[in-house]
Amino acid sequence: MAASLADVPQLLLNGIMSGAVLAIPAIGLTAIYAVLRFPNFAVASHATVGAFAGYLANVSMGWTLVPAALVAFLAAGVVGVASDWVVLRPLRPAGLITATIASVALTIALENLVRLGFGNALRDYNLPIFRDWRFGGLRVGPQQLEDLAIAVTAVVVLFGFLRFTRLGKAMRAVADNPMLAGIKGIDAGLIAVLVNFIAMGLAGLGGMLIGLDTSIDPLTGFRVLLAVFAAAVVGGLGSIPGAVVGALAVGVAEELSLLVLPPDLRTMVGFVAILLVLTLRPRGLLGARAY
Amino acid sequence: MKMPISRRTALVGAAGLVTALAAPNLARAQEAKLRLGVLTPLTGAGAFDGPRMLKAMQAVATDINAAGGVMGRQIELVVEDSETNPEAAVRAARKLIDVDKVPVIMGTWASAVTTAVAPVCWESKTFLTTTSGADGITKLPHQGYLIRTQPNNYLQATKHADFIIRHGSKRVFILSIQAPFAAPTQQRLTEVLTPKGVTVTGSLIYDKDKTSYRSEVDEALKTSPDLLYLNGYAPDVGVLLRDLYRADYSGTKFTQSYALTEKSLQALPKPITEGVITVQPSADVNSPAYVAEVKRLGIAAPDGYESQATDWISIVCLTIAQAGQPSGTALRDNVRKITNSDGAVVYTAVDGLAALKAGKTIKYSGASGPCVFTPIGDIIDCKFRFNQVTDGAFKLLEVA
Repeated sequence: MAASLADVPQLLLNGIMSGAVLAIPAIGLTAIYAVLRFPNFAVASHATVGAFAGYLANVSMGWTLVPAALVAFLAAGVVGVASDWVVLRPLRPAGLITATIASVALTIALENLVRLGFGNALRDYNLPIFRDWRFGGLRVGPQQLEDLAIAVTAVVVLFGFLRFTRLGKAMRAVADNPMLAGIKGIDAGLIAVLVNFIAMGLAGLGGMLIGLDTSIDPLTGFRVLLAVFAAAVVGGLGSIPGAVVGALAVGVAEELSLLVLPPDLRTMVGFVAILLVLTLRPRGLLGARAY
Repeated sequence: MKMPISRRTALVGAAGLVTALAAPNLARAQEAKLRLGVLTPLTGAGAFDGPRMLKAMQAVATDINAAGGVMGRQIELVVEDSETNPEAAVRAARKLIDVDKVPVIMGTWASAVTTAVAPVCWESKTFLTTTSGADGITKLPHQGYLIRTQPNNYLQATKHADFIIRHGSKRVFILSIQAPFAAPTQQRLTEVLTPKGVTVTGSLIYDKDKTSYRSEVDEALKTSPDLLYLNGYAPDVGVLLRDLYRADYSGTKFTQSYALTEKSLQALPKPITEGVITVQPSADVNSPAYVAEVKRLGIAAPDGYESQATDWISIVCLTIAQAGQPSGTALRDNVRKITNSDGAVVYTAVDGLAALKAGKTIKYSGASGPCVFTPIGDIIDCKFRFNQVTDGAFKLLEVA
């Protein structure tokens, strides 16, 4: 029995919730693209790194959700800066393809480092699990609302940072026109470090939010990589608001696809979305402006 | 100075000469040992089960040798490591066949390894016994040179359905991960359940690697099932169990033991795993063959793999004694005279060898199950262990 039209409100709700969580690492992917001009697939392993850092804070240190989420952000951000400095930065001058392939290699390497330290077993955060709340025939989980709140806060803070701070404006300037930004005295190297910190931090935060709803293992980030990439492309690779819109669009589309497709074909929606956008509107929904 | 050859020296010399001439005979007596090949994983993913399977076979071999061997010949196990790696396993199998000239290779564990080793065996007319579960293995063109003691998906689904009927469930929904076993399992469950008045309210195949299965859970719960059959792996079954808890599902949840392991039970929040029923193939713990195995190995509860290994070497030795010659083809042609016959039931190789010597017809019934094989080498029956999670730990429900 497939989903029927009566299920649409619930499907929409599910889609918005999963889209909001996807938006966080998608912003990371798109922000790096905006500034450094290559798709950094290492967001996958950084999501895993963040998930495990949050796990250590939550389970080993006994910290609650919000401080643990901050740890996830910071740890993934620091690893992001370090791994970029050592692995990707020296390869970037060799061109887009080299940097992209190196990022794939980097993600596999980091994932295996996590595996070396933690093993393959599933792990779980030490947070209580609640029954869903029901209202008007819809159901939503308290955990989902918490995830949503964290995701929205992260996006608002990021937008505030880009809009109102000098560093944020410098980042947008480099994304917009690196040469002009250089002439104005903006240090592109510093901006690269900054964007890596923020983007991989967001990936780590996203990884932890995903882990809250599932369990974590070294593949946590890799599992969502396709959906994250689809979200960034659909929104317009390099556009931060686009990543949010794209993630919500992919999340909702995946759920609504259940009206016409069997559930095992849900992943196809991400591919089809990429295909359609690249064919019909290669700039993505919101175009390629970073902000 | 002349050295006279004394009579004593001459006698000693002659004795030495006789001994030297007899040496090849002594060597031949050594060669007369019956060599059997063992190819278990000793390293790699199978490294937990392989060494234990080897030990079980060595224990049986020791018993047989102490009782006089097979056809008067001592048996010797030639052991190679499959490394749980098809490429290494094929090399090891070639060595066993070409250098050691074994009539049988016992012990391949991973399906990928068995799939690679099986053609090497049947092409060189070597018998193969395996514990790999993939349905496709017995469907290979092995010409009878292969038997497996592990239940295939079809038998597993049949036994699961039997349990669901005994459990008293009336409405079953099947959630399967997208995998080769999904559709055949759904089909077999429905075939067994429907005639017994159990309604399969629906089934769906979900995509792996999703962060949430809320919509899938909604779809399943719409049909008001009282049992959910969760046919997936640990990561996705973990997510499903969470989403089922959140959706307030209060019916029974049924899954494979590898999808809810001891480790994941510790990791997952207690409320979501409470009451889940898990199933796994089991040794036939009430069989005299199992009792004998417990005594032989000196451990409290040998598992299915150790029991299967016990049965392989027992069946192989009995078949060689039955056929009167140790060749792969003789094993192929005679194995069912031991396993599928209606002769006197024996539970150990030693008892069976004595009975054969006395001219009796025998039927070997094993520690892993009755060991009756279909024409393509599948077992037709075995036991399964059903556990239920109670207060965060597995409690045995039944072995059936």
